[in-house]
Amino acid sequence: MAEKMTHIQRCLASLADEPVDRLTVYPIACGVSRRTIGDGTMTYKEWCSSPKNYAQGLISGQKYFDLDFTVGLMDLSVIAGDFGSHVRMDEQNTPFVDDPVIKTVEDYETLQMPDPKKGRSGVILEGTKIFAEALKNETITSGFLEGPLLSLTQSASAEKVFMDMYNNRSAVHKALGTFTDYLKEMVKGMGQAKPAACMWDYLWGSYSCLGDKEYDEFEGQHKYAGSLNEAVGKEGMALAIHNCADLPHLDTQVKQMKPAVYTMAWYPLIPGSPSASDAIGKGYADNCVLCGTIDPQGFVRWSQEKMQKVTMNLIQEVKTALCARGLKSRYTIASGCEVPPTVTTRLENIKEVSDTVKKYGQVTC
Amino acid sequence: MDGKAILAGLEKAVISGNKNDAIKYSKDALAAGVKALDAIDNGLVKGMTIVGDKYAKHEYFLPQVLLAANAMYGGLDILLPHIPKADAAKKVVGVIGVVEGDVHDIGKNIVKTMLTAAGLDMHDFGKDVPIENFVNSVKNQKANLIAMSTLMTPTMDGMKAVVDGLIENGDRMKVKIIIGGAPTSQAFADDIGADMHAINAQEAVKKVKEVL
Repeated sequence: MAEKMTHIQRCLASLADEPVDRLTVYPIACGVSRRTIGDGTMTYKEWCSSPKNYAQGLISGQKYFDLDFTVGLMDLSVIAGDFGSHVRMDEQNTPFVDDPVIKTVEDYETLQMPDPKKGRSGVILEGTKIFAEALKNETITSGFLEGPLLSLTQSASAEKVFMDMYNNRSAVHKALGTFTDYLKEMVKGMGQAKPAACMWDYLWGSYSCLGDKEYDEFEGQHKYAGSLNEAVGKEGMALAIHNCADLPHLDTQVKQMKPAVYTMAWYPLIPGSPSASDAIGKGYADNCVLCGTIDPQGFVRWSQEKMQKVTMNLIQEVKTALCARGLKSRYTIASGCEVPPTVTTRLENIKEVSDTVKKYGQVTC
Repeated sequence: MDGKAILAGLEKAVISGNKNDAIKYSKDALAAGVKALDAIDNGLVKGMTIVGDKYAKHEYFLPQVLLAANAMYGGLDILLPHIPKADAAKKVVGVIGVVEGDVHDIGKNIVKTMLTAAGLDMHDFGKDVPIENFVNSVKNQKANLIAMSTLMTPTMDGMKAVVDGLIENGDRMKVKIIIGGAPTSQAFADDIGADMHAINAQEAVKKVKEVL
């Protein structure tokens, strides 16, 4: 059945909390989308090393799964790798840092900023330009960048950074300053690539990891995240934030930072982890499109029938919560984190989420 | 300084994450004739238990927990060599590591610390650990417990390979297996034949204490 709104019309309506023909849908299918190209054999390494492959995967995935948004999420070792950390890149496994560039206190302070147009940062900037142009009349597109604290923990190991927050505070701030400067250059590059939005991964804003005081000092404050968020706006892009950690700092990251879109996970076994209805009920969707919270592991492990049931349950939960809050459409049915880019992810489960939302996602309060 | 004040000093050193103090009070304990095991249990471990409780209540966060663990290990390095062999042999032995293909070890380190504080003799295999190290740990380390974690989907199958390897070499029934990490679940633990899954360090300690 033909839908009444285009992807862009639906996304814009959702951003403004206007009536929609159905809820927006976006399982965060990024690296896995490479498998929708041609015979499906492109490796992760091939995908994340070439702007053309990276963009082609995202473009092809959007069409194959018929998604409302497109986000250029690569893995989290991109910036650390470009700063000199060694990245282990297996053919199909998500790359990760196996030898961080920062090993001593002095290393924080002598960190050298690379050219953002080179390395995999360059792949992201060039690739974002390609997919943003190709999909500009199809979907709302978003570039994706790691936040400064995440970039640092990838470059020095989280454990070291967390201990040095107390033992070597000024050195940690010096490195965060360097990463922030670099990320400002990346935001300028994103501005030239022209996606509609720029999404930050502010992973460490989690009460399982940092309290308000530490998060504010080491990422949330204006010198770091605040100025980066402003830079996104100055470049003409909407601000989006991704945080797949448990117990996210919603007051800081949603109410204070005021993103247009916020994607979050839900950990039902962790006491206090906010579900979709909790987050909507507490007002976090009042001015921001919330996205979540299907368990990413379900895309690997569940049957298509189970994925349909989970999606239907989430749709019902979201519709009930939106109506109770007096909202019309400010929620996207999404995965809580990236759909695993592994070869064992079931593509039919991604499609199932999209199809189920089309079938059952109409909101009538 | 009397023994009571030394124990209080050890406890405080861990709670405040002060490694230098933990080392100092550990040396003081030995010099004052406080038994090493007493200093560990009623000083360092007592402090770490309080830190664990504060973390569970979100009064402490990862930086404070990591600093406390660092202080505790500083004290343990001094005190452990002074535990009589007969006492040490009574301890439950655990091995812990991040499975092959993954290097995210912050959660593993917290679990190791809390299991150590719970009285287990933990052997840390580190990260990106080859499957055979876990499989051979019953023979090589006399392990009663194998704890494995991963944060990445593609490496989860390594956990199953460990369980299968233990079945193959005949050691499966001699050891309990606990798994953790964001993509894992009790359902996954059941699927691969592990005994337990824990969502965090506190739950890991609780479940391990129930079976060992």
